[in-house]
Amino acid sequence: MTSQTLSNPALDRKAWLAVLARSSWLQLAAHIPAPEILINLERVRPPEIGMVMLRGRIGGTGNPFNLGEATVVRSAVRLGNGPLGVSYALGRDKRHSELAAIFDALLQDPLHYTSLMHYLIKPLAHAQTQATAAIQNKMASSKVEFFTFVRGEA
Amino acid sequence: MNNMSTLAAGLPDNVHDTQQAFRWVLDALSRPGLPQAMGAALPGVPLGGAMARLLLSLCDDETPVWWQGDAQVLQNWLRFHTGASVATDKNAAAFAVINQLDDTLVLNDFALASAEFPERSSTLLIELPALSGGPDLDWRGPGIANVQRVSLQGLTADFWLQWQTNQALFPQGVDIIFTCGDSVLGLPRTTRVSQMEGV
Repeated sequence: MTSQTLSNPALDRKAWLAVLARSSWLQLAAHIPAPEILINLERVRPPEIGMVMLRGRIGGTGNPFNLGEATVVRSAVRLGNGPLGVSYALGRDKRHSELAAIFDALLQDPLHYTSLMHYLIKPLAHAQTQATAAIQNKMASSKVEFFTFVRGEA
Repeated sequence: MNNMSTLAAGLPDNVHDTQQAFRWVLDALSRPGLPQAMGAALPGVPLGGAMARLLLSLCDDETPVWWQGDAQVLQNWLRFHTGASVATDKNAAAFAVINQLDDTLVLNDFALASAEFPERSSTLLIELPALSGGPDLDWRGPGIANVQRVSLQGLTADFWLQWQTNQALFPQGVDIIFTCGDSVLGLPRTTRVSQMEGV
């Protein structure tokens, strides 16, 4: 499923941004780019911590309501004259946010796209899908089905 | 995405730099006519240091900014860093950025606020060629002990006529912050400017 999503170029960036946002600093730090790449790093927006209002709908329908606030950290970087890399993630890990933005900038560069996609994004996406599936399986065993019998003639 | 690749950075140390800028602009408006140094220009931003720092410090998502002429790159830059929207109507602008003062500038076009809410007026940020060396004018009013001699360059005679009208509107009317490179100089609506020397 994941590989299908990533092979669609229109959703590519959205998908890798989501994967980067859900990753941890340790996972990204293992693939930290070479110093000669980072020498041109410009912090367009240094990592900053703020709040966003989460909105939800009960059961996925109905009117949206304010569920609560969540802490997010965001940043934007540029490498040399290259594209702008951005990162938005839950939490307050500034190191992670900056690294994720750097990877977003590199992924938009065709020079680094293929290798990063292969060594970083796809394994991470795979691990995240599996983790989600594991939780879903665990939850599914405790699922309760409610039935309503129709009164009168069927 | 192409115009994003030209996006310049904001203030190096956002919290402290904006606090500093607030302090300087407070001094500039409470001591009209006295220039204050705001800090150097920001790399990649085609504005004077004072103008760029003022915009980044004063604007937020509730302050529409009116721009003189075409300033797409600067509008994107300011929106990225502060969330400030672009005002197409001068009357709706909280701030106005004016780089080239000419005869088409009419102070009454901007928001003059009302007697009940005098704080809802526009604040004009005007870049001048120099804050000294122009015709001498005497400034009087709150914040000035006796009289302040100011000689701004690049202002038309018509501008000062308009200013007298604006000053007479008090408590309504616009406030002006002149900038030139790194320096800033305040002209609040309370300041009376004499047209001729010694009058």
